[in-house]
Amino acid sequence: MEILIASQVLNGFATGMLYALVGVGLTLVLGVLNIPNFAHGTLYAFGAYFTYTAANLTGSFYLGILIGPLLVVLVGFVIESQGVRRLYRAHHDYQLLFLFAIALILQEAVILIWGPVGFSLLPPPILGGAVDLGFVVYPKYRLALILFTTLIVVALYLFLTRTNVGAIVRAGIENREMVSVLGVDINKVFLLTFGLGAYLAGLAGGLSTPIMGLTPSMGLDILPIAFVIVVVAGLGSILGAIASGILIGLAQSLTTIWWPEAANVVIYLLMGLVIILRPQGLFGTR
Amino acid sequence: MKSTQPIKDATGRTGGGAAATLFSPAAIAFIVVAIVVLPVIQRPVVAAEILVLGIAAVAMNLLIGYTGMLSFGQAMFFGISAYITGILVTKAGVSAFVAIPVAVVATGVVAALVGAFCVRRSGLYFICITFAFNQMFYFIAYSWTGMTGGEDGLPGIARPAIIADPISFYVFTAAVFVAALVVLKKIVDSPTGRILQAIRDNPNRAAATGHDVGRYKLVAFTISGTFIGLAGAVFAFIYEIMPVDKIHWLFSGDLVFMTLIGGTGSFIGPVIGAAFYTFLQETVSLFWDRWPMVLGTVFALVVLFFRTGVIGIVEAGYERFWREREKSANP
Repeated sequence: MEILIASQVLNGFATGMLYALVGVGLTLVLGVLNIPNFAHGTLYAFGAYFTYTAANLTGSFYLGILIGPLLVVLVGFVIESQGVRRLYRAHHDYQLLFLFAIALILQEAVILIWGPVGFSLLPPPILGGAVDLGFVVYPKYRLALILFTTLIVVALYLFLTRTNVGAIVRAGIENREMVSVLGVDINKVFLLTFGLGAYLAGLAGGLSTPIMGLTPSMGLDILPIAFVIVVVAGLGSILGAIASGILIGLAQSLTTIWWPEAANVVIYLLMGLVIILRPQGLFGTR
Repeated sequence: MKSTQPIKDATGRTGGGAAATLFSPAAIAFIVVAIVVLPVIQRPVVAAEILVLGIAAVAMNLLIGYTGMLSFGQAMFFGISAYITGILVTKAGVSAFVAIPVAVVATGVVAALVGAFCVRRSGLYFICITFAFNQMFYFIAYSWTGMTGGEDGLPGIARPAIIADPISFYVFTAAVFVAALVVLKKIVDSPTGRILQAIRDNPNRAAATGHDVGRYKLVAFTISGTFIGLAGAVFAFIYEIMPVDKIHWLFSGDLVFMTLIGGTGSFIGPVIGAAFYTFLQETVSLFWDRWPMVLGTVFALVVLFFRTGVIGIVEAGYERFWREREKSANP
């Protein structure tokens, strides 16, 4: 039983870190552009599928993970510059609805391009198999995943806090108008932030493939989780998104031990609790 | 989504006035023509579906167009009501004419409870929360296979004998449709309806003039959810099955778009949106499995270029017509 709990805790961390990446991506776009990106889930799915195709074409998982998310960034740039940008003058509800429409289109595009049947992607050979951690034998890939995503999060944190561009993005979250008043081209900030959000979603999607496989519905399935993360964390809190991503991952994996069917619903119960007890989110300031 | 003008009905009135008629002649004509023509140009079941979705879309617009609350979760009420109706009929042997009102009332209660959680937050937060609640109910429906049939949906929701054949079922649906429209129109014409519009235009000012904005929003949310539930309850009998995708957040988005396509600035406009959506679905899905892509593309175009919806385009054309006439009459 202890082994089960131990491995589920680790599993919770692994999926939790993936959720964290997705959640941070959504939070960035929500914070800077003020739009809940309904297409975020499909960007995650595209990340997975691009990674899959790139990995198969190049024969290397690493190249797949490198190229896949970058392609998603391109998709994100197109969406932002051609579509969302046209709607800045309109009420921001319309930007949201546009992204919903894009989500529909991209969702069908996945099936159109890659077919309705799911795929699986194997991790690179050195990361295959398991390692004995002493208290549990655990898959190498998941461990590597936890380490790698932690690095990404640290890199993101450094980017946001130690670079000028990062400071502008953070300023954009806090006060968009002031940023443009101070002379920064807000359109570039929006484009960059949207691309960054897309990158995180795509990367998470690509990284998830050895664990969760690829299915056409993966984009639709991850979006509600991303929204729950944002609500639980509190709008605009990036650290909060990371923490809640992990929290939700853990909640899901631990619930699976005792009540598997409830694993999906438990995150909404968690959200409900947060709304009642701390409506601004666990880490929210607004 | 935000219009700073009160919503006009087809008479150009903005509501109120005890002596005024409920619907303008134009609106009545539209409703009558729609009810008569639809089963002719479409199969009666599809026509019934249009009317049912029309109720849902008008109820949706109560929230979006009249109160300015964009909810991406209303499908949950459609689904909850449909499932309750279906379960009562298939598992408890209750008559449809009892099941529908019971389901609608139950859904109204759920809407009030969910609303209590959601309406205190506005804008983005409201969207995220309604969305998440929607998914919660989706997962409950998906996992509780014993009751809901899970992924396969709930089949065998038989129509009662009196309205079993397509035509009489359609008449029943049309009757529900008209009744629902009358009630909803009374609500939007009432002082409550005016206050909702005031809240949409300027919540702070509405609060400053002494209205409990939160309470009114809850009222709007609950009424909207209840009538969407009514639509769901009747929907269960159209194809005699309740599919799980009608409680999915994607359908919530579809409801929003029906409202948008028809025109959020009009009471009856969303019915056009519902007709358009159903028509698109029926025709495109015949020859392309990926028909949601067409739907998404249409949605994207509407958001980019046709935000006022069909009614908005018609109104604009009308206005231009009269302006041209004025100009040529007074050079």
